[in-house]
Amino acid sequence: MKKRTLLIIAKQFCASVFKSKAIYLLVLTLVVLLVIAARSGVAYYDQNHYRIDHQQMARESWEGNPDKHPHRMAHFGTFAFRLKHPLSIFDFGVESFTGNAVFLEAHKQNVVNFSEASFSTGLLRFGELSMAMVLQTILPLIIFFIGYSAIVADRENGTLKILLTQGAKWKEILFGKALGLSAISLLFCLPFLGTITFILLTEEHVVQDDWMRFAIIVIAYSLVCFILSFITIYVSLKSDSSKNALVKLLGLWLLMVILVPRTSQAIGAYFYETPSKVEFRAAIEQDVLKYGDSHDINDPFFKALKDSVLQANHVKTVEELPFNYGGFLMSKGERISANIYGEHHKQLLDQYRKQNQLTQWLAIINPFLALKNLSMSVSGTDFESYVHFQEQAEDYRYKLAQKMNSLQMKYITPNPNDKTKGSQVSRDQWKSFSDFQYTQLTTEAAILNVKVSIISILSWFIFSIALLVYGAKKATAI
Amino acid sequence: MLEAINLSKKYGEHQALKSLNLNVPAGETYCLLGQNGAGKTTTINLFLGLLKPSGGKTLINGVEVNMDKNTTNSMIAYIPEVVQLYGNLNGLENLEFFSRLSGHNHSKKWLVSLLSKAGLKEKHHTKKLSSYSKGMRQKVGVAIALSKNAQVIFMDEPTSGLDPQATAEFTAICKELVSEGKTIFMATHDIFNAVNVGSRIGIMKEGELIHSGKTLDLTAIELQDLYLKTI
Repeated sequence: MKKRTLLIIAKQFCASVFKSKAIYLLVLTLVVLLVIAARSGVAYYDQNHYRIDHQQMARESWEGNPDKHPHRMAHFGTFAFRLKHPLSIFDFGVESFTGNAVFLEAHKQNVVNFSEASFSTGLLRFGELSMAMVLQTILPLIIFFIGYSAIVADRENGTLKILLTQGAKWKEILFGKALGLSAISLLFCLPFLGTITFILLTEEHVVQDDWMRFAIIVIAYSLVCFILSFITIYVSLKSDSSKNALVKLLGLWLLMVILVPRTSQAIGAYFYETPSKVEFRAAIEQDVLKYGDSHDINDPFFKALKDSVLQANHVKTVEELPFNYGGFLMSKGERISANIYGEHHKQLLDQYRKQNQLTQWLAIINPFLALKNLSMSVSGTDFESYVHFQEQAEDYRYKLAQKMNSLQMKYITPNPNDKTKGSQVSRDQWKSFSDFQYTQLTTEAAILNVKVSIISILSWFIFSIALLVYGAKKATAI
Repeated sequence: MLEAINLSKKYGEHQALKSLNLNVPAGETYCLLGQNGAGKTTTINLFLGLLKPSGGKTLINGVEVNMDKNTTNSMIAYIPEVVQLYGNLNGLENLEFFSRLSGHNHSKKWLVSLLSKAGLKEKHHTKKLSSYSKGMRQKVGVAIALSKNAQVIFMDEPTSGLDPQATAEFTAICKELVSEGKTIFMATHDIFNAVNVGSRIGIMKEGELIHSGKTLDLTAIELQDLYLKTI
């Protein structure tokens, strides 16, 4: 394969495409979509300012409490806000359907609220216009539209014979046109990637790690552009008319972009059922009650617990204990309920992961799906990123509740007659408990979560090259 | 210059070409006549190396096509019935592309002179090919052959669909090429053009060469009679 011939063919393909007026209409359409998508992305990301402000307000409110009984503070609670990853400007992922703020208090794991979907009309379910969505859905159509006739039209009109008699080899023709098509598709990606680069450069919260994630996105989208271009040329080679080539490619798009992802989600949900919110809560309540009722003085579990504590401290009543028994009891109850919740939540997540697994594995045969999964994960907008927030929020809630319980045990008098301890704790204690700090899932973890998709994209890249090599071997001009 | 020895081609069960033996000396125009499906285009495709023969061999200037395609490719050019090329590019750009593809790096000035030599008026050189008539496209095809300095030019029904003036212009170009020492191998239905431009003719029927001879002593009417009797 001569590099010179390859480049001549690639260059000619690009020149021929850019001499057509239709391409400028496509460029214009894409630019309009880009502007809308970029505007939406920036507007969504701008919510971080509100979230940071509200996190601060929640903190000020927490710290602004006067001297109080710690259990009142445990119920006063605070909020945890999920900050968007800078790359969420590019790919909204599942963010609009997951919540972003949760009220944290003792004994209770509240639901993460305020998703975009809950503040919009139901039309949001038909999809939002993000830059990633345009590149994942519209760009493949443009690639197919530009490249479907690349080989078959030359065969239909006899130009292919001229190409071959001019000395071009099949490999050079196929790879030359594929490279030309890839170059055009990459050109279409450039404004998007350029916009993201500009936004990241002007954003204050962007760290080096975000650039690494962005580099992964650039590589992944570029590889998929190559894959789609190579497949387009192969389909064009194997079709007996331009019309057939276009129909085949549109069918492929419909199957891979629309049908497979949606069907896999539906099949996943069918085989791995998840409980409703009410059922989930009821199951937890039931398990907590199995341990006993801490408010019932005759409850066998809590009575046995009290007896053992009294015995260990060689006293007869809880008032004689060197610590506040109420605090101890709540600490114990918090641990039990948190464990039960953790167990149920883990089971629920396992079910969700099983549902998602089908989509994950289907990415092996569907590069569109692989790109979607990879893009969401690296942009910090996938399901696992959301779970990561939930876990951090729950961890913080548990620590907050236990801290208040320990303050109660230590500083609140167990005996109303004991004047050495009071019924309140100094407000300085509220400040000493650090604020909720949301940390994004590490890049390594984000990559590991989509290893199947990464393997898929790399395999498809190799496979699409092999497909063209095979096509070149079997190709005929007639 | 061109030689076919016991050349045969089968498409599945269909015998498209049956032991064709043919010899075309350099500097001649060989016109292959015959009905649709007689095997004319198959013969050209075998010479171009686009098909593998089921039997026999094709030689160009003594080089067997299927043994050394690079060498035979460097000696030939092909002009199809309709030269489509790339409609979005102009004549000059098309010529530049195909000329560079054959390994040449001609200057723009030289390419312009080739288009003019092929009979394309200069005002059309920079117009999109999609706006060209069939005759103008054929001229770009000729210019491509010239840019390659091909010794043999294969043409597949080049005058079909051309108006009389365009046919006459094309015939004149072919004669000029032959006068420069080029060999032309043409498949055609156009008996009058075959007599006019061809130095030899061959008549094919059902994959066999039924008649082959010089056209010098034949008139168009005589050739038509011979053709009708043969097929």
